[in-house]
Amino acid sequence: MSSVREWSDDAGALRRFGLALVRDDRYVFDDVAASALIEKLFRQASLTLVDGPGADRRAARVRAFAQFVRLYRRHARRLAVDEDGGWIETPPSGRSCGSAAVGVRSLPLELREALLLVALAGFTHREAAEALDLPLAVVIDRLLRARARLAAHMAASRDAVVAWPQNAHLRIVK
Amino acid sequence: MTGRADPAETLAYVDDCLDAAARGEFETRLKADPELRREVAQWESQNRAIRAAFGAPSRNALDLGGASNENAVRQPSEAARSLEGAARPFGQPRKKRATARPVAKPRRAGPGPAARRVFGAIALAAAIVWAGLPALGPRPPAALVAAGASAARALADLPAEFAAGDPAALAQRIGPRLALTPPLAPGLQLVGARLASGSQTTATLYLYENSHGARVALMIEPLDEITAAPARRGEADGLSVAAWTGAGYGFVAAARDDADVAALVAAAGADDEFLADASLQRR
Repeated sequence: MSSVREWSDDAGALRRFGLALVRDDRYVFDDVAASALIEKLFRQASLTLVDGPGADRRAARVRAFAQFVRLYRRHARRLAVDEDGGWIETPPSGRSCGSAAVGVRSLPLELREALLLVALAGFTHREAAEALDLPLAVVIDRLLRARARLAAHMAASRDAVVAWPQNAHLRIVK
Repeated sequence: MTGRADPAETLAYVDDCLDAAARGEFETRLKADPELRREVAQWESQNRAIRAAFGAPSRNALDLGGASNENAVRQPSEAARSLEGAARPFGQPRKKRATARPVAKPRRAGPGPAARRVFGAIALAAAIVWAGLPALGPRPPAALVAAGASAARALADLPAEFAAGDPAALAQRIGPRLALTPPLAPGLQLVGARLASGSQTTATLYLYENSHGARVALMIEPLDEITAAPARRGEADGLSVAAWTGAGYGFVAAARDDADVAALVAAAGADDEFLADASLQRR
């Protein structure tokens, strides 16, 4: 694989991760705002991506994602201070949509970033801990909590869909 | 090994963070523990759903193929054989389909292609000899000739709608779009003008009288994008007709006498080289 291709893969993964991370139900409501924010953060974070193969590239990838996470945390903290001071726990949206994207967006930021680094960006647990600047045990704990919440969300959505005919208030019209 | 697996280890297995030895050991446990398999399947489906939701390529290449589509790897003859030998519902015998025979080409009666070409060439040459060679070069539209002749036939002997002997005054009354200043021909006196239906739009029919009091008509019709064509003379509707085009107008001069038509054509400054128009003469 050429180095240009590798850089492009890493940049694409970083953009995907950014889009999944910044879209939540509290601060960034639509894709246009998310894209603008991602471009701003991506320009700074992608500077650390390198073309080199092997361990250097892997380390640079971790640094780029870590930089993105730091930038977004700072952005979210600034917004939260402007509002009410609490920024970690994002309230769930209450929308009963069955997609995994909505379930991920309804997670708190601390759980979302850990889950997305591992499940979407393909980081190992140790790399995710490095990128998030956290101990490995904390990352594993967050991953377990995130998966439990996501499973509950998806099960609730599935149950809502299955239960729809009984709950629907339809009037029989002759 | 008995007892539940460590959730962190399960998580490490799902997220591909175990080395080969630990992975093998975990898979052994996985085979014996359906609850663990269910949990692993749930987390793997979460991974797939997350990657699909945010447009990431799948970690494992999709198995698109090969043997799953049996028809793709079977030979056509094999498929046909299996169809022939397949059981029919209710024990009905399968009808043997007759082998298709190639359809024979029907024999044509009459001459072949080469003979038809020869006959066609002979017929074309005979038609040219009978009709004469067509005059080459641009010619006025047939519709213009027909409109001018019929207007002259129908309207020339009626009283003029605009009676005036002065060409400039007459053209001014009719208007610049419709009328050019009519020519003054020796031996012909301008008596007025009428409006007539041209080939495409309204035309002006100028009326003249010769020394015997017979009417001579000159129809001038504004035409868009018309190619200039020299005057061609012939007969139409029992009248002697000359038609030409130029400067965005079509002209048709019609009278009972050829000399009057020739005088009008000459006065209008049209091409003096009159060409006998066979198509006009045969009208």
